[in-house]
Amino acid sequence: MIVELGHFSLLLALLLSMLLAVYSIWGAQTGNITLMETAKPLAFGVFLFTAVSYGCLTYAFVTNDFSLIYVASNSNSQLPIHYRVTAVWGGHEGSFLLWLLMSSVWTTAVAVFSRGIPLPMVSRVLSVLGMIAIGFYLYVLIASNPFERLLPFYPVDGRDLNPLLQDFGMIIHPPLLYMGYVGFSVAFAFAVAALISGQLDSTWARWSRPWTIAAWSFLTVGIALGSWWAYNELGWGGWWFWDPVENASFMPWLAGTALMHSLAVTEKRKLFKAWTVLLAITAFSLSLLGTFLVRSGVIVSVHSFASDPQRGLFILGLLVLVVGASLLLFALRAPELRSSGRYQLMSREVMLVGNNILLSAATLVVLLGTLLPLIHKELGLGSISVGQPFFNQMFTYLIIPFVFLMGVGPLSRWKKQSPATLKNQLLAAFFVAISCALLISFSFDQIAYIAVLGATLSIWILVSTIQEIKQRLGNNISVVKLADLTRSHWGMVLGHVGFAIALMGIALTSNYSEQKDVRMAPNEKVELAGYEFEFLGVTSANGPNYSASLGRLNVYKQGELQVNLTAEKRFYPVQRTVMTEAGIDAGITRDLYVAIGEQFSNGDWALRLYVKPFVRWIWAGAFLMAFGGILSIADKRYRIAKHSSTAVRQKEAQAVGVTQ
Amino acid sequence: MKKVAVFALPLGVFLLAAVFLWRGLYSNPAERRSSLIDKPLPNFNLVDVMNESIRYTPESLLGDVNLINVWGTWCQTCAVELPFLTKLKEQGVGVVGLYHELDDDPSFGIKPITNIREEVAVMLNNLGNPYKFNMLDVNRAYSFDLGVTGAPETFLIDKKGYVRLHHIGDLNQRVWQSKFARLYNELEAE
Repeated sequence: MIVELGHFSLLLALLLSMLLAVYSIWGAQTGNITLMETAKPLAFGVFLFTAVSYGCLTYAFVTNDFSLIYVASNSNSQLPIHYRVTAVWGGHEGSFLLWLLMSSVWTTAVAVFSRGIPLPMVSRVLSVLGMIAIGFYLYVLIASNPFERLLPFYPVDGRDLNPLLQDFGMIIHPPLLYMGYVGFSVAFAFAVAALISGQLDSTWARWSRPWTIAAWSFLTVGIALGSWWAYNELGWGGWWFWDPVENASFMPWLAGTALMHSLAVTEKRKLFKAWTVLLAITAFSLSLLGTFLVRSGVIVSVHSFASDPQRGLFILGLLVLVVGASLLLFALRAPELRSSGRYQLMSREVMLVGNNILLSAATLVVLLGTLLPLIHKELGLGSISVGQPFFNQMFTYLIIPFVFLMGVGPLSRWKKQSPATLKNQLLAAFFVAISCALLISFSFDQIAYIAVLGATLSIWILVSTIQEIKQRLGNNISVVKLADLTRSHWGMVLGHVGFAIALMGIALTSNYSEQKDVRMAPNEKVELAGYEFEFLGVTSANGPNYSASLGRLNVYKQGELQVNLTAEKRFYPVQRTVMTEAGIDAGITRDLYVAIGEQFSNGDWALRLYVKPFVRWIWAGAFLMAFGGILSIADKRYRIAKHSSTAVRQKEAQAVGVTQ
Repeated sequence: MKKVAVFALPLGVFLLAAVFLWRGLYSNPAERRSSLIDKPLPNFNLVDVMNESIRYTPESLLGDVNLINVWGTWCQTCAVELPFLTKLKEQGVGVVGLYHELDDDPSFGIKPITNIREEVAVMLNNLGNPYKFNMLDVNRAYSFDLGVTGAPETFLIDKKGYVRLHHIGDLNQRVWQSKFARLYNELEAE
């Protein structure tokens, strides 16, 4: 009964989003205030019924209702309750319901936090969000319904949640990633609404900036958690694989990063209007493309859900409608746009153009690398695969100019910057960077040039960021003055510092990690990178829905016991799968990482040992970036925007444009 | 007008990409076309699994149409496939085995050849022996030359020693009828 209620709620949510899509834009186009005012309540309604529907599915999971096909294939009565709750998004159908929930959360958030934005604009934005929602609700109800029953003959027990997904990282990774993906639909909706209305002045950039930054922050954390999960769960010490599905989440992130920066220019300097709109469309299009790639099975990936051409076709149809229509609108409206500001070659504007070009190039590299195997094959040119070496090489080329600009950009002024005044600062930053990088590299036994390069770039960002703060504050720095800087400024600082930290982690861990595949008998010792790993043997244990072999190791450094590690190999009987849980000792400067493999006939075990320097920095950096994003949104000017009247705010916007 | 064309460019690029995505929906991404098709077999000089004094080279295959079947005793699907291959052999199809040893891993020590022989003999005895002979792929080097991604895989080799077909996965009645039979008969008639 409750399940039917959930199904019915979903249908109601679809109907309400249809009304939302039609009424509010109709009101906006005809100037009918009553119709426009329906937008907000309708948005709340969509959210309410989607949440009810989602709650009902969760209830079915918690109460082990295996008469539902979806519950039967993704849960089991032995599954611990917290995994039963998260199993709701463990499969295709449910993860789309989560998508719908997220999309209704964002829509409602726009409805709530848009008091400062003129009513016609809000109505158009909500209408666009409603239109996108219609497509996804139809998809869930027609092609991938999680509420389908398996009656009258339903299984006694379920097939269990994929053991790969029974992990803490996996509990929070998909919702955050989806928050990011779906969040870009808000930036998209603002851009499309602005295109429809024809009012493409810089105000729309101002409105959509906090939304874009919010979505970007979620996506950043989502991607970082995915990487962290892979590191813990897959047992071979990697944190990024350039897998098509990872690329699918990375592309919107790159485009979103470009969008954040481009929005800043459009808002403050009224420039690059068409380009910013295009980026907003692109970021969300890439989110949709990512969804399509993951769900349709057109590319080979370890992440792929069961592929079904029918479903793939439906999503492709959605993709073509949403992206095609918005790009058509762009082609029709963008030629009318005129950028008004003037600037010179050496100016912050140009630096940000460089940032955008490089980020777009990076997006293109990932896009091509992901789609090329498909295109190559469809053209009849045979099968190729594009892997790590290609991406790594391309990103090494792109990151050098990118980081250079990242240092110079914030130091430069808008409109015009004389190179001579920057010269000393930049030279100082460069020498500090390269000498620190060399020192860091000397502390490892060998020198890898790529690592020195990476470390130099990272410190370059740090030094120039500090210089920028100094430049802002004048000569005598005090804590009081530091507090004077706006939150959005601190957001930028943290974003850049986070990037530098992640970059340092990537450079050092990629080049100085050490690894050994060994065969060990109990009490045997192996030396790796100055650490001595003593294998103590394997014991068995039982979890709630699995049995496990626990391999224990003592790790010594110069004869002193550092840590006791336990690496697990779990066997999940329902799905008959074996999972590794690496034994990890996390540290600021290095991770010790052990995974156990098979047992040999004579009782020895295969083990994989890693010493991974600075690997934590990658995720720490990513979290710092996301925190920077949150700080930016918390900036006063967005809060003022919320409470003040439109006229005041427009004046203020002009003032900002003039002074900065 | 020129300006409109510039701004319509993203739309054009997107629609083109959409066509490829649409076509991609209906083709299997895991399927790969071997680059060896219609090229002579890469050179090899391999010993017999059962007897290291017997050596085989591409010349050993000339004059007949042969299947080269990559397999191993560790491979479950190969075990499923063996009875069908044996049936093919009874119909007169020449099948040559390329033995793909998985445990032969330098990191963990090498499995003694006598163990391998024992396992091969037991398996072929139980499930049927379709093979004219079995070549031992030392260190899996020849599998690498052939572009083998796993076992079982089967290559169709014509009388002149050219690769004509490459099939990944098990060979069964359906695959044989749809993919191999016609080409095999043509080559046999040459």
